[in-house]
Amino acid sequence: MECRVLSIQSHVVRGYVGNKSATFPLQVLGFEVDSINSVQFSNHTGYGHWKGQVLTAEELNVLYEGIKLNNVNHYDYILTGYSRDISFLETVVDIIKELKKANPSLVYVCDPVMGDQGAMYVPENLLPVYKNKVVPLADILTPNQFEAELLTGRKINTEEDAIEVMDLLHKMGPETVVLTSTDLPSKQGDQFLVALGSQKIKKPDGTNTDQKICMDIPKVDAVFVGTGDLFAALMLAWTHQHPKDLKTACEKTVSVMHHVIKRTITYANEMAGPRKRPTPAQLELRMVQSKADIENPAIVVEAKVLQKSSQ
Amino acid sequence: MECRVLSIQSHVVRGYVGNKSASFPLQLLGFEVDSINSVQFSNHTGYSHWKGQVLTADELHVLYEGIKLNNVHHYDYVLTGYTRDTSFLEMVVDIVQELKRANPNLVYVCDPVLGDHGSMYVPQNLYPVYKNKVVPVADIITPNQFEAELLTGKNISTEKDAVEVMDLLHAMGPDTVVITSSDLPSRLGDRFLVSLGSQRHVRPDGSRTTQRVRLEVPKVDAVFVGTGDLFAAMLLAWTHHYPTDLKTACEKTFSVMHHVIQRTISYAHGENNRTSYQRLKLSLFEFHEQKH
Repeated sequence: MECRVLSIQSHVVRGYVGNKSATFPLQVLGFEVDSINSVQFSNHTGYGHWKGQVLTAEELNVLYEGIKLNNVNHYDYILTGYSRDISFLETVVDIIKELKKANPSLVYVCDPVMGDQGAMYVPENLLPVYKNKVVPLADILTPNQFEAELLTGRKINTEEDAIEVMDLLHKMGPETVVLTSTDLPSKQGDQFLVALGSQKIKKPDGTNTDQKICMDIPKVDAVFVGTGDLFAALMLAWTHQHPKDLKTACEKTVSVMHHVIKRTITYANEMAGPRKRPTPAQLELRMVQSKADIENPAIVVEAKVLQKSSQ
Repeated sequence: MECRVLSIQSHVVRGYVGNKSASFPLQLLGFEVDSINSVQFSNHTGYSHWKGQVLTADELHVLYEGIKLNNVHHYDYVLTGYTRDTSFLEMVVDIVQELKRANPNLVYVCDPVLGDHGSMYVPQNLYPVYKNKVVPVADIITPNQFEAELLTGKNISTEKDAVEVMDLLHAMGPDTVVITSSDLPSRLGDRFLVSLGSQRHVRPDGSRTTQRVRLEVPKVDAVFVGTGDLFAAMLLAWTHHYPTDLKTACEKTFSVMHHVIQRTISYAHGENNRTSYQRLKLSLFEFHEQKH
């Protein structure tokens, strides 16, 4: 497989967020990963302390120029995630546009990180940039419920709402949308959260169809950091393997997530000791230890196909 | 295996040198790799063009401070390679010394990158820093012949010279020395180069012993970048698994190198007339099939 990804995300010295979370799994799965580190921090910002440096939009441009001058600005995928800076995000948009001109088949996988549980945790002025410039270029989008609501201006209270929101997101650009987590009640009870996905597919006869799926995912009683970044990277990998089969791509992605998270929480609880809550350092994803699960995940979740409608 | 490495090396957006060359193989072999990127460049400096930013000694210190403030500055290994800046290198030494205080069993794997084939390709003022400050805190070093000669002030014309140089290097600090390549004539002819290694141990009964190894390594007709970084990382991994068996550690290390290089060369020649640097990058993504 000769597949090259440009991933523009954070780098942490210790732990697994941003590029640290995305790169190893993609490399294990055989992708060539070029990585631009948008920041270099000692560790993620959920620890007691964190220190480091950020890349400016100008410096990002300089790095891209280097790639371009050598005529190696040819990518099959771009992957982006958490950003805090408007000018940086806008420079990313310019780079993507140029890379899409160089390769019209390029697939842009975008995690539109803005917030969760009803609150934004990036500067508010990023929303219009995502809405008007980033999402229109994206091919695969992995918002959570809050981000999907923000981008479309619509609330999600029922499965029907979720479907309408995903259709609105399709209209904005991406043909593949996955709502990575929602507050919708799961049929399997309150130990589960509901995720949904929607993919527009062109049939051989030229007509459009779409596949909508829904998954019940076991909740875990802990706060993880970097899981969204891992999710987006895995979606990239598994949609690459299964480009017209969102059901399988999601089942594999969510299954890998499950194995990594389970391994992580077992280890974290062991390290913390009985009746103690694990620290952020102890809760770092057990990425390296999960290599076999990344390569060949045992499927632990079944996605339900909701509807197939022709348009 | 719960083994944490702090690797302080370059990062390139594209390609495999420095941390890009060292991290993935170590992670594949089950090591936790914390990486401080000393620079971020678009690609290595053997391409026609390269652009990017360097980390200052202060910025390095700031990153280390963050690790320390969280009380997670506990490492089993430190790995360093190519550096161009004296103050940066001195900061690395300070960090290594502090980490050794926190964990006296820490193993510092140092590639003393100074030059090759008779000439230095880093600023000359790095030489005394390596000689007087870095090598004394190193446990494993991987100099080439030129670097070994430079550090000891002794020329290597025979195998006997090489053994004496390695003993001089032991006396400076490291218990494990591998001269990664030399001009010594190989027993297998001129398609091979000679590498040598030396490892000192203390036996259970308290006596000291030294194991010496010699390898005849097939030459390849191409210029690679990043192979030294891969070598040091693999030597870290295989000496970890074979801490008192330098022979096996070297055989595994050199064998991995061989497979990666062969695959790289096949791939590079696969495209007609494309022998430029972009084709000569290490084919690491298929590396994991060969690791055992």
